[in-house]
Parts: sequence; structure tokens; C-alpha cells
Amino acid sequence: MSKDIKKRDVTFEHELMPKHSIITKKDLEILLKKYHIQPYQLPSILISDPAVQAIEAKPGDVIKVIRKSSTAGEILAYRYVIED
Amino acid sequence: MPTNEESYKIVDGVKFSLLSPNEIRKLSTVEIQTADTYDEDGVPIVSGLMDGRLGTLEPRQKCRTCGNTAVACPGHFGHIELAEPVIHVSFIKLLHKLLAVTCRNCGRILLSEEKIKEYEEKIKEVKTRLNTVPESLYKKILKHAKKTMECPHCGTQQFPIELVKPTSFHEAIEEGAPKIPPSAIRERLERIPDDDLRLLGIDPKVARTEWMILQVLPVPPVTVRPSITLESGIRSEDDLTHKLVDIIRINQKLSEALESGVPINIIQELHDLLQYHVTTYFDNEVSGLPPARHRSGRALKTICQRLKGKEGRFRGNLSGKRVDFSARTVISPDLNLDINEVGVPMALASRLTVPEKVTEWNLEKMKQLIRNGPEQYPGALYIVRTDGRRIRLEFVPERESIAEGLQPAFVVERHIKDGDIVLFNRQPSLHRMSIMAHTVKVLPFKTFRLNPCVCPPYNADFDGDEMNLHVPQGEEARTEASLLMQVQDQILSPRYGGPIIGAIRDLLTSSFLLTAKETFLTKEKAGRLLTAGGYVGDLPPPDVKGPNPLWSGKSIFSVFIPEGLNFTSKSNLCSVYKCPDCRKEKCQYDAYIVIKDGNLKQGVIDKNSIGAEKSESLFHRIVKDYGSTVGKEFLNSIARLLDRYITLRGFTYAFDELAISDEVRQKIKKATEKAEERVNVLIESYKKGNLDRLAGQTIEESLEIYIMNELSTVRDLAGQYADSYFPEDNQGIIMARAGARGSMLNIGQMTASLGQQSIRGKRILRGYRERTLPFFKPNDAGAEARGFVYASYRDGLNPTEFFFHAIGGREGLVDTAVRTQQSGYMQRRLINALEHIRVEYDGTVRDSTGNIIQFSYGEDGVDTTKSDHGKAVNIERLVDSVRLFSAKGAIAGKRYIESKIDSISNKLPPSLVDELRRNIQGAKLTRKSVDQAISLTIDSYVRALIEPGEAAGIVSAQSIGEPGTQMTLRTFHFAGVKEQNVTLGLPRLIEIVDARKIPSTPTMTVYLEKKYRNREKAEQVANAVTHTILEDIADSIVSDIAKMKVMVKLDPNTMKDRGITLQEVREALKPPNSKVNIDRYDVEVTPKEMEIPQFKRFTARLRVFKLKGAPSVRKALVLEDQGEWIIRTEGSGLDVALNQPGVDKKRTISNNVHEVAEVLGIEAARNVLIKEAMAVLDEQGLDVDIRHVMLVADMMTNSGVVLQVGRHGISGEKSSTLAKAAFEITIPTIVDAAVKGTKDMLRGVAENVIVGRQVPMGTGLIDVYMSMPEKEKK
Repeated sequence: MSKDIKKRDVTFEHELMPKHSIITKKDLEILLKKYHIQPYQLPSILISDPAVQAIEAKPGDVIKVIRKSSTAGEILAYRYVIED
Repeated sequence: MPTNEESYKIVDGVKFSLLSPNEIRKLSTVEIQTADTYDEDGVPIVSGLMDGRLGTLEPRQKCRTCGNTAVACPGHFGHIELAEPVIHVSFIKLLHKLLAVTCRNCGRILLSEEKIKEYEEKIKEVKTRLNTVPESLYKKILKHAKKTMECPHCGTQQFPIELVKPTSFHEAIEEGAPKIPPSAIRERLERIPDDDLRLLGIDPKVARTEWMILQVLPVPPVTVRPSITLESGIRSEDDLTHKLVDIIRINQKLSEALESGVPINIIQELHDLLQYHVTTYFDNEVSGLPPARHRSGRALKTICQRLKGKEGRFRGNLSGKRVDFSARTVISPDLNLDINEVGVPMALASRLTVPEKVTEWNLEKMKQLIRNGPEQYPGALYIVRTDGRRIRLEFVPERESIAEGLQPAFVVERHIKDGDIVLFNRQPSLHRMSIMAHTVKVLPFKTFRLNPCVCPPYNADFDGDEMNLHVPQGEEARTEASLLMQVQDQILSPRYGGPIIGAIRDLLTSSFLLTAKETFLTKEKAGRLLTAGGYVGDLPPPDVKGPNPLWSGKSIFSVFIPEGLNFTSKSNLCSVYKCPDCRKEKCQYDAYIVIKDGNLKQGVIDKNSIGAEKSESLFHRIVKDYGSTVGKEFLNSIARLLDRYITLRGFTYAFDELAISDEVRQKIKKATEKAEERVNVLIESYKKGNLDRLAGQTIEESLEIYIMNELSTVRDLAGQYADSYFPEDNQGIIMARAGARGSMLNIGQMTASLGQQSIRGKRILRGYRERTLPFFKPNDAGAEARGFVYASYRDGLNPTEFFFHAIGGREGLVDTAVRTQQSGYMQRRLINALEHIRVEYDGTVRDSTGNIIQFSYGEDGVDTTKSDHGKAVNIERLVDSVRLFSAKGAIAGKRYIESKIDSISNKLPPSLVDELRRNIQGAKLTRKSVDQAISLTIDSYVRALIEPGEAAGIVSAQSIGEPGTQMTLRTFHFAGVKEQNVTLGLPRLIEIVDARKIPSTPTMTVYLEKKYRNREKAEQVANAVTHTILEDIADSIVSDIAKMKVMVKLDPNTMKDRGITLQEVREALKPPNSKVNIDRYDVEVTPKEMEIPQFKRFTARLRVFKLKGAPSVRKALVLEDQGEWIIRTEGSGLDVALNQPGVDKKRTISNNVHEVAEVLGIEAARNVLIKEAMAVLDEQGLDVDIRHVMLVADMMTNSGVVLQVGRHGISGEKSSTLAKAAFEITIPTIVDAAVKGTKDMLRGVAENVIVGRQVPMGTGLIDVYMSMPEKEKK
């Protein structure tokens, strides 16, 4: 997917906090098609989550997380922003 | 060619709803009017509780409703018309809510039209966005409506409704709180419009609220409550029948009373009694009600009790059932059996059967089996003819003619015979290797026999253990069992990706002795051993030539190692010698194993090479590189070989071998005396008061720690002296070194000294007042008086020592008992939370409704079982073998390698790509070899990938739950520093999966920025984060009520200790609404004018006024960890710490998952969960692959908040009603589902087990699909 990190990512300096970014509509469509899913079938993340706050995502956005992985090195995960 | 083709239906889903009174009447075959059951002749009374129309119990009696006999009659419901409506207890909470949020006059929900619209839209919107409506939204609506005290629709004033437990409602109107009769409640509920119910999450189509008040009571069929005839001929009725009798009696009395116009209070009394009986009929454990009892005083088991709990319908009969074709007996070992085999005693083999279809090819054999009959082995028990008739051969006097009448397509249920496949199981079944498929070997005697190498997966020993055996009856079941469940296919554990099966006990002793440098064997012995191992062929060339040739043990062992195997590793023996540098091939102790081309060149073979539960061992390599069949053969052969060797050689551990010389005895005595002296010195200095206090400990605690340190060295020292005395050929030492049994500690305890006995990690401190036993002086803190045992097991313990030893021993026993319970429950919760998780065809890990849990299993998609101890591909070995077999040629250039690797980088996970690059570049390969290495790596990676359908959830749950049993309980360990205790072991693991809001020992590890990494600066930071309140630094705090002032005298010493300056106090001490005057160490606080009680509260608040730090950080310790100054805190406050200057914002971390979720987000919380769980497992020395922990963490954080593994978390969020009901909160779950009209689509595991369908996991997932031509789009 694309690499558009929105706004500041200052809070992502903690080593346990992977980088979050909002994915574009187009990328979302590709993602949903790839897995044959609806957005709500993705793992969720709360709107109040510090990482979500930092990138100013809104409910309904899908967030891309670049995780550091001890098995695979680096891996992408996605989360669907929901209200509390 | 099935003999009996039956059409049957498959349950597609289960919908829950309420029965309306009309439905109950419609369902009913008879109205029950008489409370009696049978007349004097034992004939059921018409319209009585045992009316013939309710079904039939007697075997040959026909049902008066359906005409079937007892076998086929399902039973039929009746009903009772209640004289007055009665509340159903299970709905009481819901009714309370409903009454509170609806108008007492018009029945509308107490929300304005606009609000109703708003919420309706909100529900609709949320439903399209999330596909479900969260419970929280309904709760919000409820809360909102509850507040309204005047109906927005009709303007009627509302009154609070009180629920008086167990079953009555009172309305608090001005004149008091009169009870609302159920009939009135019913009327109110009837008035609530359908649309308003939808706002509360109730589906009015299936659950009208008034149906929750009973007018008609369904009477279950007699099959549900059969009466039993005792031997004496007395009939005894079921508990439910008893209860129904009560209900009918009271109901009759009530209706008579109503008709005859009895005073109202008597009617009320009768009504209450009816309510009581109906309530206890449903649930006999309602709080606030005395349970209905039998005449004997035993509480009745009514409907709820039948469903609930471990022995209830859900867990006891639906999720797990009793089975036929099973056997159980004691187990014993037999090395002559293959690891795939199980020895079945003859007596059992002639009772267990397998159905075998008769064909023209096996006709004669089958005839013979029938002639042999049930008694003579091999025989048969039953014949099933094509018309479905079963002939029980036991009852056939003349079998010959039956045998002659046998035709193809009949089915003969014959005795099991050698080679049949069976499932073998030992409880507790903690992981999938607790049930494995074996092939039958019928043997004499009365026990099941198994190869002792298979003990570890079953966790079996032979001290009286019993095991169960099941015979699969279908062709499909047998095929799956033999392809997937055989022992040889389970050698590698999914928990850590290494062998769980391997040599144990004497086999290890034997291999240690056989492969020792000194062992040489004569031709005769060598021949015997090779024969035992099943070797056929020429003797290998002797190692010592001459007239009497000799063979080394190593070369005999080598015969069974597969050809071409190259392997090096350290042996278990290596750990005995603590060499500073390993000399590897040149090891002087023969502890470095080198195998070249299948030949054991050097090194002893012991636990590290062939032992069970050892990863990266010789056996592991063989299984991994040559397959499970070769691995199985290897283990079988060496097991027999080693057994024969140790039989020939002989091995015993004698009492004499525990003796130590007087010299050593003196040395030990001297050491203990010295230690005792030092302990006495410590005690003296404690008494004098000049003992150094350890930070964070009281002086008494410090003394204990000093003494314990002193004494623990004694035992170690004593053990060491004893060790050094024993020669290498001491049999105990041999066992310990080979890893067969026992440790050096055990030997030390037997020979030198038992050491300190402890309770909860402390010396024994309790007992009598001020002393442990009356043999000691009060307050004697010496070694002997507090449970130090000088004696060894060999010498024997003196009475006081023996007593202390018993104390310690008892704690051990209690510990195990408690631990099994706790870990068992944790396991159950884990399994329940993860059972429905599986890998899909697109590689994602999903739950049963298709929600994604992981995008790729374990992030790299690799199955741990197929991995190499957790690694997808063992690239180092792979590149090495490619290099060894490559032809000579020009070495590939760096650019070539780079371009090749880049071209495949999307086929492998990044970490593998990096490793591959590193290894290839270091190996100096030719171009061809580079290509080969790359393609082999991809091949191996693809082969290691997890397969679709794998029940990843269950495997992970087992992999975490199973080691739980092996964990120690109550390990409070010191986290690096002596001063700090951190909960570890099982309690901590439970805490993690519980997702406790506050862990029992919250702690932060604060890392510092570069400039702050020294003791001084670190201490400054530590002081800054420590919670400090005014009281902490005050010498005195005096409140002057007359002047309304608080005078505080600060203590400069504690202020220095706490690292707080006057300036800081001045800045921080600003209580609201008051004036603060600070004059050096005298502080005066004057609040604004207030009353005396207010002032008192003010003073109290002032005392605990926070001056600095994080509120829950009680202590912060500065320490050096791996050359870096860090801070460990007791208590945690991550946000405060991260905002403190000097703190490293990148690495500082807390062990409180919820706190991390709040401060750093859910993804960070996930990382902490993984990190903490792995740390606990590592600390306990338990090898669990990180993928399993990841899955649990992903599951816990899937919803955006950290959910616990249990009923309030993951299990509570499950979509299936049946699965939830089978887990813990049975009745409320079902009630809730019924009210909402939930449909269980049966997609998970537990649900399908309950309805008896195949489970949608693994091979059960496969179905035939057909793609239909797509509809034409216009």
C-alpha cells in the first residue's frame, strides 16, 4: 500500500509503539477486496487511542500499522477506527 | 454400498425466542389438572402429571400421542393454566429495567419523540458500520430513559420502581411503596409498543415483554422427568415432578379461593406461595429464597440446576459425552514395542470391536471369525445384516449355520487385531499429544503396554497410571487417525517446534555409558547389541584390530545414525564443566559431539542428543531432515539397543555409593560451623542494633536476608565438597550427568546436607509463640531453630529437623494441589477464548464470524510444528550443506548475490531475506550454489507455512496452558535487585491473561537519556518520579483549630533523602483556597474561612498533598543493568515518568498493560502483553514459541481495548450463544439470547460439538463448493 503518513508522527518514538498511518480510500478498497471483508471485520482501534489521536484519524478510517516482528522482521497490520 | 441409507437433517442454526402463552397451549397435548401421578395399580392418572399423552417410559408401551414406543417417542409437552399470573425469575432484572424506562400509564418509552428518532437512527447507523449494535448503546438509551420522571408522551408522573428480591416489584409513590401485582405488571408490559422495545435491543417478534409473566406453565414430557421404580417396588418421582405437584396443588387452592371469594390476604398468601413454587421450579438457587427441599433435606435439582455447571446439561452431556468402544487399564512399559504401537491385553481385545464389511475376498476369514464367536480370539461380537438387523453372537447357540449364511455386504463387528488403529489417551488431556493414534498389538496379561519414549507427551509414568483407549469405528476416522494422529507424526511439538518424544531415564544412562570414550565391546557383545537394535548386515570394521577385535560403543551407536548426517553440538555433560572457553572439537571431556557422515566421531550421546523435550538435538535433526519414519526407526532401534546394553552391563545405585569419607565430612562440618558463627555474629549485631539495613526492608527482614544468604552458601558448599569426593563412575553421578534422573542438588541432599527448609521462600518462622518448636529458646534466630537441616538423607534427620522437613514437604504438596487447579482453569479459559480461531485459505487468522485476528499467522505465516525450533528455515545448515555438495567453480560476486536476493525478496519475510543474504555472502558459493541455496530456502519456507484450516487458536491455547502445570506457584523473585519483589510464575501468567487493571506488583523500568546515565543523575530522576506527599517530609503537622491554621515543620533530613528542595516545596505546595507561608522549615497554611469539620477535612487533605512524582510510585531504585544506569520503580505511573526530563522516552516501560494502552496505545499494549508473557515463560525455563503468545495477545487486543481471557472479556464477546452458555454464565446468556431473538449460526467449535455436527476446523472444514455462473450484470 502507499506510504502517506499524515501529519506529525512525533509520538511514535517509543519502541513499543509502532508507526500508525491512515490509509487512503483507494488502498482501503484494495485491502478489503484482498481479504473479502467489510471494514468492521478488521481489528479495531479506539478513537481515543493515543496513536489515533496523534494522526488525527476519524471513526471509519482504517489505520495501517507497521509492526516490528520478531518472527518476520517487519509486518503490516490494519485497524479500523471506532468510537469508544 | 451403505447398508442402511437414512435420510437425516443437519442443524443449520439455532434460534432462541420466548414461548408465548398461545404457543405453549398449542404445543400442549394435555392440560394437567390433577397433582397425582399414578393410581394404586400403577396406571397413570388421566390429566395427571404422568398422563400417557405426555410420552412413554415403559419399553414396550406405545405413546398415546405419537404411537411410538419409548425408543422413538420424543415425549410431548402438557400445560398448566395458572390461576393468577406469575413472574418468571430469570427475567426479573430485565423486567425491572423495562418497568423503570416505560410509562406507567401509556407504556411508551420515557424518551421524547426526537430522542427516539435520534436513537433509532443511531442504532441503524452503528449497525451498518459495525454490523452489530454494541451493548453499551442500549445501556446508554436505558440510562437516559430511566432519568425521565414524567412521560414525554402522556405527561404522567413516573415513580421509581424498586425490585424487592427475589420476585416482587414495588412502586415508590408518595403514599408508600405498594407491591405491583404480576397481573398489573403484565398489563403495563402489554402496553409497550413494539418499536419502543426495539430501542432496548428486544426483538418484539419473538419476545413480547408480557410473555415474561407466566399465565400458562408448560409441563415437560415424562421423558424429561422419568420416575424410577426401586427394587422394593416403590416408585420414586423425579425432582421436577415433585415441584410440579407442588405447583398444581397451590394453583388449585388459589383458583378455588378466587372463586369462593376468600379474604384478600389469604389469596395474596396463596399467590405468593405459587410464585415461590414456580420460582424454585425454574431455579432452586435464587438468592433470598430458601431452596425447596426433598423430604430428606436434600435441595431439589430443578431446571437451572440441570443446565448449569460442570455436570450440567451443557458441559456434562452436550459438550462431552460417554462413549462406547473404549477401554481403560493400568499402563506399563515395553521397549520391544514400536513407538507407534500400544499393547492391548487379550481380555480387552476380545471385547473391543471394529466393524468390517464382508466382501467376497474376506468372506472365508469372516466366517471363521463368526465361528470363533465372542469368546475365542480372534472372533466377532455382532453381525449386522443388510436389512439393519443386528445379531448378537453371544446369544447364538449354534454359530456354524450363521457363519454359513454370511454374505458380502454384511458387516461383522470383529475383535480388534494387530495393526488396527486406536486412539490412546491419558488425562489430563492438556495438549493434542495427550491423545495419539497407535496401532494395536494384542498381548497377554492385563495392562496396556507402551514404549517408554512416548511417556513425555502423555506425561505418564508407571506408578499405577491408567490410560484410555478408543476404537474409531469409521473408515474416515481411521484414515484421519493414521494419517494425522500417529505417534510418529506427533514427535515434533507445536509448542516449541522440537521433539517432545525421545529417550528417557535408563536409556540416557545407557547411551552415556555406551558412547563413553572408554567403552569397547567384544565381537559377541557388539553382535548382540546390533541384533537388539534390529540391524541386519555385516559387522562394521572393528576399532581395535587383532586376534580379539574390539568395537567402540561409538561405532556401534553410529550404525543406527542415518548416512550422510553431519552434526555438532554440546552434550549434557558439557554443562557440568564450566569451561570459560569451549575448545569445541578438542574438548578434553568428550562433551562435544561431532557426527560426520553418520558416524559418531566424538562426544558422548546423552540427554542433549536423544532426550525428550530437547530441541536442536541429534534426534531433532534426524526427524527434521530425514522425516518422521526414519526418526521413528532411529528411536526404536536405539531404544532397544540401549536397553540391551544396560541389561548386559548392569546398573544400580547402591546405598554405599552415598557414603562420603570422614575427611569430607570434617570439611563439611567445618564449613557449617563457620557459617553458624557468621550467623551468630549477624544476630549479635542485630541485637546491638548496628546491623546495616537493606534499602526498602525493615531491620528484621534485613537480618533474615543476611542469614539466608549465609546459609544457602553452606548447602552449596557442602554439596560441592561431596561432589568433588565422588568418582566419575559413581552411578548417581552418571545418572545426573547423562540427564537420566536426579541432579547434583539431589545427590548433595542425600549425602551432605539437606539445607534450609522454607515456607513461602522464607525460613520457618511460625509455630509457637516467639519460637518454632518448644525445643528452642524464645526468639532464637539461629540456623537450627529456624529450619536449617544439617543432616543428609543418608545420615538421617533428628526429630526437629524431621519436623521442619515435613513442614517444607507439606508446602510442596499444597502447592501442587493449588497449582493444578489454577492452571487447569486458566487452560479452560484460554481454550474457550481461542477455540474458534483458525487459519483461512488466504493465510489470515480469523474467528468463526470472519473477523481478522492476524493478517498472517504468527506474522510470518509459519507453523511452529514445521519450523526449526521456531525458525522458519535453518538457513545456516541449509547454506552449509549446499556448500558441501557444490562443485568447484568461480565464486559468485556480491552484485550477483544482491540481484538474486532482491528478485525473490517478496517471496520471503524480511527477516529471512536478511539472514539469507548474510549467510550466502559469508559462505563463498558459486553462482549455481547461490541459486540453489535461494531456491531451497524458498522451498523450505513454503513447506514450513501453516496450512489453511489449522486450529491455530486451540494449538496456541494448549501451548500456553499446558506448561502452566509445570510452573511454580508463588515465585516472588528478585528482579535483579535484592530489594524488589516481582510476581512471577503461574500467578503472573494468570494476571496477564486476566488483564487485571492493576497487577499485583506494578513496576516500571525507566531508562535514561545519555547524559543522565550515572548514579547521581539517575537518583535525581528516581526521586522526581517517586510519589512524595507533605506528610513524608514533615517532622510534624499541627492543625490549630483556634487560629484555623495548619503548622507544618519540615524535616531537612528526610527532605534530603527524598531529594526535594525548599524551592520545590514552595512551588508545589499550593493547596486550593488557602494561603501558604513558608519560612525556612516552618510552613504555615491558612485556608479561607471555613467551618470546623471542613477545616478538619482540609487538614487531612493537606497531609497527603502531592508534592511530586507519580501517584502510585512508592519507591524508585537506581541500579546498574548491563553497564547502564536504570531505574526500577515499585508502582507505576508511565505518563508522569515519560514527561520527566532525563527519561528515555523510547524505552521506558511499565508492566501494567492497561496503563500502556492508555499512554502508548493498543499496539504498544499488545507488545507489552507479548513481552511480559514471554518473560514469565522464559524465567521458568519453559520453551513456548512466540507465535502462540502473539495470537493470545492479538485476540486480547482485537477490539481496541485490552480484554481478559474469560467470561468478562473474549469469551463474553463471542458471537455464539451456545458456546457462551457452555462456558460459564449459562442461564443469563440463554435468557438474553431469547429476548433478543439471537440466531446461533453454528460457526464455531463448541456450538457444533453441542449440536453434533462436524467441527469446522482442519479436515472438518473441507466441503464441496461449486461456483455458479455469475448473474449477468446490466
